[in-house]
Amino acid sequence: MKKSEMLFAANYRYNLDRDLFVNRQAKKAFSIEFVDDKPATAVRKRIEEATDGTEWRFYFNHPPPESVRRLLEQDLEAA
Amino acid sequence: MEARTPEDHLREQYFDLLPEMQRVVLQLEAEVRYHTLPILHTLGIGEQLVVDSRVKECESALQKLLRIKGLEGRKFDPDCAGGYSLLDLPDLAAVRVLVFPNRRLDEVDKTLRAHFQNWTAKPLKDRKGEVLAPRYIGHCEDVSRAVRAEYQVVPMLLGLFWRVEHPAMYKFRRVANSREMRRRRGEVERVLAHFEQGIEPYILPRSGE
Repeated sequence: MKKSEMLFAANYRYNLDRDLFVNRQAKKAFSIEFVDDKPATAVRKRIEEATDGTEWRFYFNHPPPESVRRLLEQDLEAA
Repeated sequence: MEARTPEDHLREQYFDLLPEMQRVVLQLEAEVRYHTLPILHTLGIGEQLVVDSRVKECESALQKLLRIKGLEGRKFDPDCAGGYSLLDLPDLAAVRVLVFPNRRLDEVDKTLRAHFQNWTAKPLKDRKGEVLAPRYIGHCEDVSRAVRAEYQVVPMLLGLFWRVEHPAMYKFRRVANSREMRRRRGEVERVLAHFEQGIEPYILPRSGE
């Protein structure tokens, strides 16, 4: 299964403005660069990673600075 | 008062630069038209040479900057509000020369290349790395040393296809980059080239050429 299909199957939606795969319920977001660059097994592992759903997790090649993280969280909560 | 965001700074920069961008695109378009005029006058029935130009739109410039900077999540860092510049974009002003049939393309390319000798070649390529059209990036130094511009010389059928395809695909980049759409785009490019190969022998230059 392709990486994007794995994400869609796990209830992620593609956010065109941010180029992110987002699952609001799980509060997880994957950047397109991360998905493109990492092998399917690594993406699968992150999809399956358990969270308590209280804080957003961003799977980026380069973790966003706190200031960007706050903006992204606001955007994704409002979406 | 709320702190200004990077987008505020960039929009201000855009409108500060706009008159300069307009001067650059006018200059570039005029030079391209001037240098291709002798070719235009020799076109035969069915042959075409069309010069198009544009200044990049503000929001499009911001979006492109996000992408070329590789900013994941497509957000500027508010802690670097003044740290971004639209002058990093290579195509704030752009001219596209559409040519039909293809045998005229080399002629136009060589003619312009002779005039824009210092410009850097960055050919437009397909997914397999094959050159689709010549493209050059540089400065119209009489007008601006800051704003970079580009010109392309494009097979007309392909250029007209891009005029529809690019805005649609730009809006839906994920779909655009899917294997299926890449395949379909490749098919269109091949079919257009095939059509052109078929018709080209029948489109004759003006007699005496």
